[in-house]
Amino acid sequence: MVVEVLQTLIDGLSAGAAYALLGLGFTLMFGVMRRLNLSYGASLMVGGYLGALLAARMGNALPVGVLALLAAIVTVAGATLAGLYVERLCFAPLRRRSAVAAMVSSFAVWMQLEALASLLLPLHTNPYPTPLDLAPIDVAGLTVRPEHVLTLVVAAVVALLLHRMLARSRFGLALRTLSDSEPAAEAVGIDARRMTLLAFLLASALGGIGAWLVLAADQQVTPMFGMWSTLKGLIAMMLGGLGSIPGAIVGGLLLGLIEASGQALWGPQVRELIAYGLLFLVLVVRPGGLYGRTEVALDLAARERL
Amino acid sequence: MSDFQIGLLSNIGMISFVALSAYLLLISGAISFGQQAYFGLGAYAAGVATTLWDWPLAVALGFGALLGGLGGGLIGLLTRKLNGLYFAIATLAFAEFTRVALELWRYQRTIDGELVGPDGANGFNGIRRAFEDGWHPLSFMILIWLLLGATLLALTLFDRSRAGAALRGAGEDPVLATLLGTDVMRLRVAVASAAGAIAGLGGGLYAHLNTYIEPSLFDVMLGVHALAYGLIGGLGTALGPLIGVLVDIGILESSRLFQGWRMVVFGGLVALLLIWRPRGLLDEATVRRLRTLVLPATRHA
Repeated sequence: MVVEVLQTLIDGLSAGAAYALLGLGFTLMFGVMRRLNLSYGASLMVGGYLGALLAARMGNALPVGVLALLAAIVTVAGATLAGLYVERLCFAPLRRRSAVAAMVSSFAVWMQLEALASLLLPLHTNPYPTPLDLAPIDVAGLTVRPEHVLTLVVAAVVALLLHRMLARSRFGLALRTLSDSEPAAEAVGIDARRMTLLAFLLASALGGIGAWLVLAADQQVTPMFGMWSTLKGLIAMMLGGLGSIPGAIVGGLLLGLIEASGQALWGPQVRELIAYGLLFLVLVVRPGGLYGRTEVALDLAARERL
Repeated sequence: MSDFQIGLLSNIGMISFVALSAYLLLISGAISFGQQAYFGLGAYAAGVATTLWDWPLAVALGFGALLGGLGGGLIGLLTRKLNGLYFAIATLAFAEFTRVALELWRYQRTIDGELVGPDGANGFNGIRRAFEDGWHPLSFMILIWLLLGATLLALTLFDRSRAGAALRGAGEDPVLATLLGTDVMRLRVAVASAAGAIAGLGGGLYAHLNTYIEPSLFDVMLGVHALAYGLIGGLGTALGPLIGVLVDIGILESSRLFQGWRMVVFGGLVALLLIWRPRGLLDEATVRRLRTLVLPATRHA
C-alpha cells in the first residue's frame, strides 16, 4: 500500500515537472502580453518534429548520445524559432488591439504549424531519440525510470535558473516591471515591444525544454502533441493562478499528481475526467487559481473582455 | 446536384450551427471554447432517442436542442460571474469533461438482432432513422438549410430587437449596460442557453446525416474552429459565421487546390486577415455602411 502510494507520487511528480515547464512558458507569455497564445503547443510540436526529422535522416550516422543531444538542441531551437514567427505574425501587429483577434490568429497559425509538421513527417508516430536507454531502476520495491529522474532534475534546474534571472538580472527586472504595468515600464524607458518579443522567445524555449523531456521519455512524437501540450500547459497555468510563476510550478506538479492518482485508482480515461472536472471547479469556485494571492492587475487583465 | 455537392452543402449547414452558437456568445462579449460540447450532447441525445427509444425524428431533434439548451444554461449559470480568459477556459474544461465522459458512456441494447447505442470511445453506430423514414440526402440537406435559415432569421430579428441591442451593449461594456438597466447576468445565462440549443439542434442533424458519431468528433478543434469562423466572417451580422464556414469548408476543404498545403495557406491568410480586420470581414462598421447603402432611411431602434 505504502509502496503504491509512493510509486504514484513519483510518477505524478515527474510528469508534473514537465507540465510545470509547459505552464511556465504559458504564464510568462500571458504575464507580459495579457494575451493567450493558442499556437504554443504547435510551436513545441514543430521543435519536436525537427528533432524526430534529425533522427530519421542522420540517426544511423551518429552515436546515440550525440544524436540525443543534437535532438534536444534542435527541439528547443525549433520551438523558439516557431515562437518568433508566431509573435511577429499574430501578436506584434495586433499589439494594444483586439485580444480575441490575436488569439484566433494564433489558432490559425496552430493549424498552419501542425500542417507543416505533418508535411515534414507524414507518419502518425515518429521515433524520437532518447538520451537514456536504461532499464528502470528498482529501489526498495519502487520502480524509478531514469527519464523521470532526468525530467525532475532538468525541470528543477531550469526553474531555479529562471528564478535567479527574474529576481537578480536587469532583464528579469525589466520583465517583471512590464508584467506589472506596461505604462510604468515605458515610463522608466523599457522598450516594451522588444521585451515582449524576448519574453515570448524565452517562454517558447522553456516550453521547448518541457517538450524535449516529454518526448525523450515517450521516445516518439505524434501529431497530437501540439494539442496535448497546449492543454497541459493551460491547465497547469490556470490551476496555479494566472500569471504567477510559482503558481505555474505548483499547478503543474498538482496536475501531475492528480492524473497519477486518478490513473492508479480508476484508469486512464477517468484520470482525464478528473483533471478537467477539477479545472472547471477551480475556475467556478476560485478563479484566481489554487495558489493563494492573485495579483490585482493580472486578475483584471484576465477578466477583461478578451 | 451531385452527391458530393449535397454532402458538402449539408456539412456547411451543420457546422454553421456550431459557428452561430459561438458567434452568439461572442457578441455578448464571451469567448467560449466549448460549444462543441452542446453539439455533441445534441447529437448523442437525438441519436439515442431515435435508435433506442424509437422516438420520431422531429421530436428527437427537439430533444437534442433541448438538452443542448439545458446544458448551455446550466454551464452559463455556473460561469455567469466569469469573464474573459476564465470563462473561455471554464467552457473548454467542461467541453473536454463531456467528451471524456462520452468516451466512458455505454448504453447499448439489441434491437432487431443488432446491438445499437453509444459504445464509449468506439462511437455510436447505426443512427439510421432519417433514412429509414424515407429522407433522401437531398431532402435532408434542404431540411438542414431550412432549420438553419429559421435560426438565422431568429438571430437577425433578435439582433434588431431591444434585447439584441442590450446584448451587444452588455458585450461592449457590461458596467455601462448594468447602469442602463440591463440585467447582465440574466441575459448571459439566457444567451448561453440559446447558444447551447442552437448547437444541440445542429448536433442532432449531424448524427442523423452521418449515422455514426464518436466522442472525438466533438473535441476542442471543432470548438475553436467554430469561434474562428465568426471572427473570419465578421461580428457585424449573423451571416458572418456562415461566410467563415463557407470559406473554410466550401472553398478550401472541397477543392484540391492546395493539397497538403491547404492549412498552411488558410492559416496564413486568416492571420493576415485579422491584422487587417480584427473583427472580421463583415464587422459592425461595414454592416452599418452596407445597410445605409441598401436602405437609405435606416430605422434606428
